[in-house]
Formats: sequence, C-alpha cells, structure tokens
Amino acid sequence: MTGDYKFNTLSLHAGFTPDERHGSAAVPIHQTTSYVFKDTEHAAALYNLEVGGHLYSRISNPTVAVLEQRVAALDGGIGAVATSSGMAALFVTVLALCSAGDHIVSSSQMYGANINLFQHTLSRYGIETTFVAPNDPDAFAAAIQTNTKMVFGEVIGNPGLDIMDITVIGKIANDAGVPLVIDATFNTPYLLKPLQNGANIVIHSLTKWMGGHGIALGGIVVDGGNFDWGQNKRFPTLTESHFGFQGVNLYEEFGPAAFITRVRTEGMYNVGPCLSPTNAFHLIQGIETLGLRMERHMSNTKKMLDFLLQHEGISWVKHPTLPDHPDYDVAKRLMPKGAGSVIACGVKGGREAGQAFIENVKVASHLANVGDAKTLVIHPGSTTQSHLSPEAMKLAGLTDDMLRISVGLEDFEDLQADFEQALRSAAKI
Amino acid sequence: MKINLNGEIVFASTGGRNFELKGKPIWFIHGSGQSHLSFMLQGRFFANRGWSVIAADMPSHGLSSGIPLDTIEAMSDWHIALMDSLGVEKVQIVGHSQGGLIGLDLAHRYADRVSRLSLVATALSIPVNDNLIDMAKNKEPVAIKAMMDWGHGSEGHSHDHTMPGQNHLNYGVQMMTANKSGALHADLQACVDYVNGPSAAAMITCPTQLILGQKDKMTPLKFGLKSAEALKTVNVTIVENAGHMLPSEHPEEVNRALRPFFTKS
Ligand SMILES: Cc1ncc(COP(=O)(O)O)c(C=O)c1O
Repeated sequence: MTGDYKFNTLSLHAGFTPDERHGSAAVPIHQTTSYVFKDTEHAAALYNLEVGGHLYSRISNPTVAVLEQRVAALDGGIGAVATSSGMAALFVTVLALCSAGDHIVSSSQMYGANINLFQHTLSRYGIETTFVAPNDPDAFAAAIQTNTKMVFGEVIGNPGLDIMDITVIGKIANDAGVPLVIDATFNTPYLLKPLQNGANIVIHSLTKWMGGHGIALGGIVVDGGNFDWGQNKRFPTLTESHFGFQGVNLYEEFGPAAFITRVRTEGMYNVGPCLSPTNAFHLIQGIETLGLRMERHMSNTKKMLDFLLQHEGISWVKHPTLPDHPDYDVAKRLMPKGAGSVIACGVKGGREAGQAFIENVKVASHLANVGDAKTLVIHPGSTTQSHLSPEAMKLAGLTDDMLRISVGLEDFEDLQADFEQALRSAAKI
Repeated sequence: MKINLNGEIVFASTGGRNFELKGKPIWFIHGSGQSHLSFMLQGRFFANRGWSVIAADMPSHGLSSGIPLDTIEAMSDWHIALMDSLGVEKVQIVGHSQGGLIGLDLAHRYADRVSRLSLVATALSIPVNDNLIDMAKNKEPVAIKAMMDWGHGSEGHSHDHTMPGQNHLNYGVQMMTANKSGALHADLQACVDYVNGPSAAAMITCPTQLILGQKDKMTPLKFGLKSAEALKTVNVTIVENAGHMLPSEHPEEVNRALRPFFTKS
C-alpha cells in the first residue's frame, strides 16, 4: 500500500520485532493470561487506552498481536483482532455493528455456518438478513434498507464457487452508506486484497489456507479503516458514547480505527472468543510460507483441472478459472493469479460412484475441511448432505454426484495416480 | 467537542474527557495533512492526568469543515480565534512538524498567549521538495502514501505497534485520506512559504523544548538541532531510532519528555 515490503517479506517479518533482552528470532509463545503492571499509573493508563500494551489475554496477547499485525499488513488494513475461529470473527464483526432491529444483506451462496448464523441465530436476537445471489449486484442494491448495517459475502463462495464482484458490490454498498464486509477465507490476501478492491472489513478463517497445516483453528477481523462511520446516523455503536472507557466516542477519538477498537473493547471484553497464544504461534508459522504455498496450490489446481476435464469418469467440472464458469470474467479480473484451489466436479455414476471414489482415495484425505497443505476430498451427497432428498440437494445447488476437492501441495504425479485408481473403482459401481 | 467558529464547524479532541478549563490548556497543533488523531495517545494521556487538552482539526482536516488555510500566519490567527471562542487566555503548545512552525509563529506574534512551547519533529523551516508538492496537488493519494512511507521509522515499516494489532502506515494513510482533498497541498505550500522561522525563534522568550527523532527523514535531526541553537533551549530530547511520526510511533518517550515540561497552573 505504501513503500511497503512485498508480500513474502511481510509474510515472514511483519508485526514482529525481536525483544532486546532475549533476541528470540522466532515469535515467542507468550503463554500467559495476564501481565504484570509497572505501577498503578501504568495499569490505569492501559484501562484508559492511552498507552499500548497488554492487560489480559482475552483482550490482547503479544503472540496474538504479531499475528494480527502480520495479517493487517498483508491485507492492507489499519488493524486487526484475531479470534478463536473464523465463525467467531464473523460474530464479533456483527456484534460491533448491529443491534436488535438492524438488518444485513448477504450473499446466499456461502459456507453453511455463515448462512446459519444469519438465518437462525441472529434472527432470534432481532437481526434480520436478506439473502441475494452473489453475482446479482442489482439484487444487493435493491435489498439495502435504512436499517442495513452491513453487506456481506464470500469472494469465492463455499461450496458453490460463485464469485462475488466486490468492486461493484462494494460501490453499491458504500453509495448507500453501508460497509462491505468480506469473508476472504478462500482467496487469502495472496490472490486478492478485498480492502483495496471495494471492501471495508475483511474476515478470514485462518484455519484454512492462511495456516495451511490443518493443526490450529483461528479467525481474524481486519479493518480497512476506509469507511466513514460518521457520514450518517446508522452506526451509533461507533459514533456515540461507548460504555466504559469514560464514555469515549470511538469515531472521534480513534478515527479510522473506530470499528476495530469496538471489536476489541466489546467483542473480546464482553464475549471473549480469544485465540490461544499457541494457536497464534502455529498460524504465524503457516503464514510465513503463504505465498509459496498459494503458488503451488494454484499450479496443482491447474493440473488437476486439466486432468479432470479429460477424464472419462468425470461428467462435469466447475471452477471459476474455466471459461464455462458463469463468473469467469469477474474471477479473472479480481484474481489474475488464480481463483482458489477448491474444485467441484461430478463423478459418472451418481451418489454410489461418488461414495466409491471417496472410499478408494489413498493420498487425498476424506474430511470436512479445506485449505490444508494436503489434498482433501469430500462427497457432500454421502456425508454433509446425505440426509437431503435429491430435490432438496438441487435446491441447495448441489448434485449427488458432486465431489469437492481442495487441491493440496503433493507432487501432482502422485495425486493423479491416486485419482486415477479411485475413479477406476468408482467406474466399477 | 464541536465548536462553531465563524460559521464553520471546528472539531477539537479533548483527550476523551469533557473539556473543563483548568490552568493553561495543552494545545496540540497537528502537522501537514494530519489531524487531531496524530496526538491520540498524548491527548488521552494528559486529559487523564488532569490537564485541559485541546487537539483541534484545522479547517478541512479531520472532522472540521471549511476551506484550508494557506499560510502559517493565517493558521496562527485561526488558533487564536479558537482560543478566544473557548475563553482560553494562555496555552502550552505542542506542535508537530508544520504544527511546530505555527507554534513558533504563535509564540512570537502572540507571545502573551503562549506560556510554553514544545516542538516535536520540526525545524525553523520545512522546505518541501517540489515533487511532493506536485504530487499533493495532482496525485494526492500518491503523495499521502509517500509521506507515510518517509514519515514512519522502523516501527511503522516493521508493522509493529504499541497498540496491539494496529498498523501505523495504513492507519496514517486512512487518517490523511479522510481529510478534505486539497488540505495537504495547502499545508505543504504554507510550509514552503514560511520563512520567518529564524527571526521568530530569535524573539521567543517563553520556555521551549524540542523532541526530535534521530532518524527523521522529513525534518532531519540536524535541522531540529539548529532550531535548538536558535531558541537557546537546552531542553532537547532525541528519541533513538525514531522517524518523523514520533507521537504515534514512540508515544511513551514523547509523553515522558512532555510531562515534566508542562505546568498544571
Ligand atoms: C468460507 C468460510 N468461512 C468461515 C469458515 C469458518 O471458519 P472456522 O472453522 O475457522 O470457524 C469456514 C470454515 O469452513 C469457511 O469455509
């Protein structure tokens, strides 16, 4: 964003200065709940948000702060708060902006728990959501109401892989005086920095590609600082006196950091979905190689697409980089380096064949995650969606022959051989 | 708080406490293209310790309306008008960068209104390079990014912040971008045009202090030290490894230097 270090340098260094006393080159795990105050004045200063530092690890922690500062730097944000999971990041974001009686406009094609939070949880607390198709900007414009507090979606929808044109939808939201909040889990800042392309707030599930190793859950909220919360009277949580902290007006006192300060002083103080220092450490190790891994995810995805497209056991392949994908042009414009490493495809032979494929893969792992360094496969028809009738599957945009592949970093020859033999078994069904 | 000054809205941060006139307020004056937010941690620090604090946004900056002022002298006059409207007789000034030039001019031309002058990351004159002036006029976003790049020291560039999770460079860019377009160019031109620094310094009689960044690229240390000579001040703090954005990158060192300089009465 400025005369800043480039992506891989930031991935390795941003947010960390070795401490003078020990000089530890790796980010230390500050496995502590609390911090010794220098004196009463120092304690009071921390509570008054007039000096930096840590009070209690539910609110902030030195290891977690390195992760926050690193991801803020990678995404071009003014600040970040890390959370115990991606879902917690979404929840504290909503909490900072919405109250009972408020409204959200959201993409309808998203990770199931994101949909469920809006549809079934927030609705019980008086926050209503209108769902619209991610590739229909006009529908977003039409759905925004006077009580709408955020427009939300995933750049690459999970699992349908629809693309949301965040440049266009961000402008629609901002013209209406509403921020665009983006779940950037599937793209990561390597493929696209939403804050520089129309979004105002980004959340990630760090559990996926950011960590990349599949060993630690985590989430993060990154504030672009590029939305004027005082332009209208929509955001009283930020522009009116805040409980505690001597009734500080966050918009006046913290300017571009109003939102992220509210996330920390409310989401972390009053709810507390904090990230453990050890998980932060693991996630930092993962982020160090994000650029390298994403390059390899993209090249293996391309090889996998070529393989699947020519294979007689595969009836259809869906990925935003394929010219027959309805959002191909938008994906190419937003993400020239690639549109993620998740592929959807259909196995000839329907539900049973899909099941046989999954049961016969050996290199790929059969599990419910994406974005691991290892290749992952799932057959929604026989697992997550097995309770659905064919009609209900169709309504959800899923077919019972569908496989979801999260392409990993293995030597492609081994993946290809593994898929070949599993597809042979599926063909026998 | 918001004040109506000659039909325009002026926003002044009071350090997060209600403004109550006690003694001589600490009067923060922001730099080119900046706003009250550059003193966020100083304002809260002093307000919380019983001082009256004012960190006002000059016209077109931060949350203040109006058109930008185009000379350092006009900016001083504006600060005096704001003091008058608040019923403030005398202030203790902290001026950062361009705010330091305004501080020099105020302490010279309005000597009876200034009891103490603290100059942070500044000099007797601030000659801005033509390229930056041109960018500020024609490519403001590029000028803002360049200023935040040059302005920050190692903390900013390593993306390490005393406030957990925050980012100096990107915050600075957004703070400056939030000002009205044109404010930065007017400020930089006013700095270039101000030539009375040395003569003002020779006339200033109130106690003065300098807080300078060792690695300041925008107002290099050697020029800061020249102003110490001209002001005959011995109260000089050089913050090691610090760049131009001292108040946000090194808040504790700055507050530690400022605190003993100010009086409560
Ligand atoms: C797009 C997307 N967002 C959010 C989440 C939730 O993340 P977490 O599991 O870290 O809570 C997921 C998890 O699968 C996801 O795929």
